[in-house]
Amino acid sequence: MRLSWLRAVVIVVVSLVFALPIVWMFAAAFKTNVQVTDPSVGLFFTPTLENFGNVLADGEILAALRNSLLVGVVSTVLSAVIAVPAAWAVGRFGMHRTGSLVLVARIVPAVSLLVPWYYLFAQAGLVGSYAVLILSHMFVSVPLILWIMIGFFEGLPVELEEAGRTDGLTAFGAFLRIALPLAAPGTATASVLAFVASWNNFMFALIFSDEETQTAPVTLFNFISYASTDWGGLMAAASLMTVPVVIAAIFGQRYLVAGLTAGATKG
Amino acid sequence: MPADPRPGPPPLTRRSFGRLAAGVAGGAALAGCAPGRGAPSRDTPLRVMGVNHVWSQAISKYVPEFEELIGRRVSMSLLTADQLSNSYNVKLNASGTDIDVMMMRALQEQLLFAHNGWLADLTGRVTGDAAFRWADFLQAARERSTTGGKVLSVPIVTERAALYYRKDLVAKPPATLDDLMETSLRLTDRGANFFGFVGRGQRNGSVSQWSSFLYAFGGDFTIDGRSGIGRPEAVTAYEYYGRLLREAGPPGATNMTLEQAMPIFAQGKAAFYVDADAIYTNFLDPKVSTVQDTVAFAPVPAGPRGARPYNIPSWSLAVSRFSLLQDEAWEFLRWAAGPEMVARIQADGIPGARTSAWSAPATLASFPPDLAAAMRRSSEIGVGHDRPEVLQVGRARDIVGRPLVAGILGGSVPAVARDADAEFADFLVRDNRYREA
Repeated sequence: MRLSWLRAVVIVVVSLVFALPIVWMFAAAFKTNVQVTDPSVGLFFTPTLENFGNVLADGEILAALRNSLLVGVVSTVLSAVIAVPAAWAVGRFGMHRTGSLVLVARIVPAVSLLVPWYYLFAQAGLVGSYAVLILSHMFVSVPLILWIMIGFFEGLPVELEEAGRTDGLTAFGAFLRIALPLAAPGTATASVLAFVASWNNFMFALIFSDEETQTAPVTLFNFISYASTDWGGLMAAASLMTVPVVIAAIFGQRYLVAGLTAGATKG
Repeated sequence: MPADPRPGPPPLTRRSFGRLAAGVAGGAALAGCAPGRGAPSRDTPLRVMGVNHVWSQAISKYVPEFEELIGRRVSMSLLTADQLSNSYNVKLNASGTDIDVMMMRALQEQLLFAHNGWLADLTGRVTGDAAFRWADFLQAARERSTTGGKVLSVPIVTERAALYYRKDLVAKPPATLDDLMETSLRLTDRGANFFGFVGRGQRNGSVSQWSSFLYAFGGDFTIDGRSGIGRPEAVTAYEYYGRLLREAGPPGATNMTLEQAMPIFAQGKAAFYVDADAIYTNFLDPKVSTVQDTVAFAPVPAGPRGARPYNIPSWSLAVSRFSLLQDEAWEFLRWAAGPEMVARIQADGIPGARTSAWSAPATLASFPPDLAAAMRRSSEIGVGHDRPEVLQVGRARDIVGRPLVAGILGGSVPAVARDADAEFADFLVRDNRYREA
């Protein structure tokens, strides 16, 4: 009994710590700028929709959200197309050294790649295009999906694919018709995480985008100017940016939980 | 596992994988060596990178006029100051041609950018164009635009230190730093969450605002090329500013830069605030300020060596040396920093760098009268820098700001200043060596 009380208290405290910045963000989106910077104004105030009105009327954040969606969806789909079969191959055929090679992409600090990448992309005339943003985001997404999916495929019973091959399937056919459908929760998990990584990516978008392809994380900084910050507008725009990811996470929660725990009980 | 009965593609061996990888790498290398975009077409926009600043917002309203003038589209990308610096560092390190006009802080970045060879020489253009009237720019601003005898930028926005105060609490502004200290301490009421003074206290961010106090006590960051922060004048300035914020300032002052300090004054919770005059509109806007009717403006009070506020060109325009549209980029500078546009922008309340605009009653009328008087006074007596004039300004500010933090926290300023002075002396030697390399 005492342990369950302690557990409840810990859960509440930890939840509050994690939820507070998000609650503050949503609350600030409905405050005036004077109220945002006044610590005495907490969660009880007369809300205003003015910030959302200004942000939506400007249209810039909506264009940036559209760009983020395009780059996020395309880079995630392309990454999944490459990384899911690769993960199956690494998992099934014990190619862990190859898998580790791909992991190098996550180990190398991305900032150190900016100058050479920028040089190459500028020479190819790609800077400012969606193509360069998608390619750079895939650099993050492919290893992420690959390594989530390796564990997933290793957790699937190999006998299922062997049965398929006995019935005449090729190795790739067994992957396509048997392993891939069974790995749907894992693919969903990895894709949602890759999409969130792309959605929030700031550094690549800062350097490789132009005013027409700018994504939402960079556009958020438009509310911070040299001598002042439009906190209300910034929080309204940040809320608009957060909501789609929260909705995607809620709808994908069933798959996410299944996917995140897959492989945990292997053997 | 049973063997696949049907013939299929040959298995991917390590050798064939190696060949594939080499092919991909070779292709990528060839793509990298391929010619770039070449000469710009008529559709190539003139790319202007700038900071998100009231000047940028004001000029963007007039940009269609310029586009009509040169028959080319202008693309403006606005970022925060730090992001702008990071973008320049990446793009210009890679000799990127997609920046034509650069908005930059001459005092923070020009020495480094000039050292890296990133800025086009504008000397012939500014001096050879009679209509541009280079001599019309404030002398201090012209000096900051010139590095190694070459004009590398054109100043567009200037700033001076100003004292913001509450006229409902003090009948007239303090004339000396002693008055400021005494009045600030008297007005402080921590129980009522009211503070006599608020200002920047963060180690790096506070250095520029502290400079006016340093000069007023007779010090400077460097004296004859050597560190000046260990001298008695500098130690007194550190101790004064530290005590002011410690005894009359809000809690957590050492974490405060502009974004944190300004709202405290704007919310009516402080009697005095020292910062750049360029931010005055924040206190007159009822959306962000509760003191729009009670705020007043004055020059920074005088110290033992008189009043010596900084007076700097905060933002300038330059042309990237890698730009393929250098003529058009210069045309942009000529238009945006020309006498007519500076007068128009200054009439919108944004202080420029031309003496003609400062002497025109029409442009001065856009500022509150007491602020205009303070600005004019500070322009006359001001010092042309607000931070150490070195290549690595950020690192220098970190060193110089250390005794400031010690002063605010009530530590031993002389001891910390002695350490910082030794570190700054070493830094200056290295910085000079790097500059000469």
